[in-house]
Amino acid sequence: MSVKSGYFKKHLHVDLTKGSAERRDLPDTFIEKYIGGRGFGAKLVWDNLRKHDFNVDPLGPENLMVVAPGPLTGVYLPSSGKNSFVAISPATGLYGDSSIGGSFGVELRQTGVDVLSITGRAPELSIIFIDNNKTTIILMPELKGKSCLEAEGIIKERLGTHAVHIAVIGAAGENMVRFACVNTDWGRNAGRTGIGAIMGSKNLKAIVVRGHKDIPVYDVPGLVAETEKACKYLEEHKYFNMWQREGLMNVIEYANEKGILPAYNFKDSVFARHDQINGAMMLDHYKIGDSACFSCPMCCSNICLVKMGKYSGTVVEGPEYESCAMLGPNLGIDNFAAILSANRLCDEFGMDTISTGNIVGAVIEGYERGILSLSDLDGREITWGDEEAILDLIQRIANRQGIGDVLADGARRIIDKWPEMDKIVLQVKGLEQSAYDSRPSISMGLAYATSDIGAHHTRAWTIAREIEEGQGWSDDEKVNTVIYHQKLRPLFDMLGVCRLPWIELGLSERHYENFYKYVTGKEASLEQLLELSNDVYDLTRLINVRLGVSRKDDSLPYKVWANPPLTGPNAGRVIDKEDFQNLLSLYYQKRGWDEDGIPPAGVEKKFED
Amino acid sequence: MSKKLTAIPELCSGCSICELVCAIKHFGVNNPKKSAIRVLITYPHPVMRMPIVCSQCKVAPCVKICPTDALRWNDGVVQLDEEKCTSCYKCVEACPFGAIYAHEDCDLPIKCDMCGGDPECVKKCPKGALRLIPVAALGEFKRLNNILSYTQMKEIEFYEKGEKKIIHYADIGKEEL
Repeated sequence: MSVKSGYFKKHLHVDLTKGSAERRDLPDTFIEKYIGGRGFGAKLVWDNLRKHDFNVDPLGPENLMVVAPGPLTGVYLPSSGKNSFVAISPATGLYGDSSIGGSFGVELRQTGVDVLSITGRAPELSIIFIDNNKTTIILMPELKGKSCLEAEGIIKERLGTHAVHIAVIGAAGENMVRFACVNTDWGRNAGRTGIGAIMGSKNLKAIVVRGHKDIPVYDVPGLVAETEKACKYLEEHKYFNMWQREGLMNVIEYANEKGILPAYNFKDSVFARHDQINGAMMLDHYKIGDSACFSCPMCCSNICLVKMGKYSGTVVEGPEYESCAMLGPNLGIDNFAAILSANRLCDEFGMDTISTGNIVGAVIEGYERGILSLSDLDGREITWGDEEAILDLIQRIANRQGIGDVLADGARRIIDKWPEMDKIVLQVKGLEQSAYDSRPSISMGLAYATSDIGAHHTRAWTIAREIEEGQGWSDDEKVNTVIYHQKLRPLFDMLGVCRLPWIELGLSERHYENFYKYVTGKEASLEQLLELSNDVYDLTRLINVRLGVSRKDDSLPYKVWANPPLTGPNAGRVIDKEDFQNLLSLYYQKRGWDEDGIPPAGVEKKFED
Repeated sequence: MSKKLTAIPELCSGCSICELVCAIKHFGVNNPKKSAIRVLITYPHPVMRMPIVCSQCKVAPCVKICPTDALRWNDGVVQLDEEKCTSCYKCVEACPFGAIYAHEDCDLPIKCDMCGGDPECVKKCPKGALRLIPVAALGEFKRLNNILSYTQMKEIEFYEKGEKKIIHYADIGKEEL
């Protein structure tokens, strides 16, 4: 049975060098095999790599950037606002993707396209305006240096409408900071892998979309019935209200209690003043509103305002757990208002809060240990919790001033310049690690090491289960769980929906085979969909292998082997290198890859057409 | 009908579920741009999420301006007579709230009909930001809020049968009013 609905079957390709935009037909085989989102992205990036003989500079005009919602994006079901950005990452030089919620992807679909790809380089700073069937490239050099928020306002004024959705970069993207992000709906960021720098390298300030088309759904009544079941389950869940109130900020307390919260650049995994920066503090003193992604009853995003003190007047959508942990405890900051201010600064510059927090933390520790001298720091001292110096450093990174020029190139360049920093910066494959300490959980270590984009928790997040119930887990179970996550979690990105209803409130993943069926008219079991997702994981591995990745790169930061957390429930724990290597071998074996992590020769054939 | 469809912007999260269910109910399609209710979001000055939907005005500018008499206030709802409507969109422009919508695929303006008294958007709003409120009770929420913000509220924690409770009271004497 084939796909009957759910797609416009159109691929919009924009070449900024030629100034051309072309709508191409998407064949059924492509749609059925790659589903959407990161699936479409991986395949298009793979084809582009082959076209250029695997010689693509991430910041060169030849790098293809893919913007891809999925077939379920914008559909009436719990949280369907997801959209993926895919390209060869300037942070890792390998496959990279990042997804956002909000409504940008929905609006993009409503222009009648399933996937947008962009290549080339505009002669001057430009925007792409996709207005239903019409696509124009507009030169807007006046946007140079404007913050994400300001630029969004200027573009809306220039186009004479507020009813558009905008994906925009700030100064960090323009300056090609290798962890620059893409900002949509004012405060939602496709944060990781430096997609914003790619837009900057293409002289592309923003993508503006306005679409009015019906999103194709095969069986609307069937969909509504399934959605009502799912929503009913969520709304009756005992944590639903707490989730609406605190969102991901409730994880701060949890992470601190379990000893997985990064503090002082992962020197520690608990933070003494956690009560100053947790969800309860936010609720009592800062939160002024909820914010939800498209069609999501959970509204996990918070809007916060600083009402007094020197940061008074700072409004930010957020923070969520990662931003708060990386810009707070990880830098020794216990002032929630300062965290909000740093988060806002990152939003304005369009810079990833995780990488920024990670790198600033490494700089502070590097200086503390004497690896970085005062002159390296341009004569400005920096210590744990020094809010002013930290905010100043964030600014210097975004604008590439002084030491900021090195830091802006990310973990790899920092280690090249100061080899001793290898022991201090936490990164895998060049991507700075996100805010879950893997030392008490070897399966989480495996997840970071084998994630196709680098040290990020999006592909597999096994830490909570291993800590709570998995102490007796066999190696088999650990590897199976990581692989299952690496199939299921990217599947959500391919479908264009959020995975949080499943992760946080336990909404059964079985719903999604029904959602897929009602939207596309094609029957596919969850297992079949997971196999398709697994194929895409093979494909991204293949991309990375062809770009030089092998077993040596599936490793973990030095601290994970050598420096245990100082206090808390996991004090003294590290991951044993040999245990890890054994686990990695088992992982390769279960994936059908060889001892060096290379997929078998035949796999490549699967992705030829 | 003596009830009004009212939006409480402080509670709205901007999820657009109201738009989706409205379009599905009236047009059978998944298209938030074909709904009679839209969430308008402004940020950061001011931070606001505001569902905009017809107020069913008794003295309605849309009714007044309609050249073909296609709009009539009847039992609490401004009803659109599809036979009479010429789709000139004068009503869309005349509505002071912008609460009547137009879509290029649709022949007629898109206007809230209160789903015959049981609005789909009210039932499906996950935040309770949309409510059906009896006309006589309109403004109660605002009145209470106004009092709370006007006085300097203090709170006392106390225990009743072992359960922690909080009582709020206005401590007028000590603060400058």
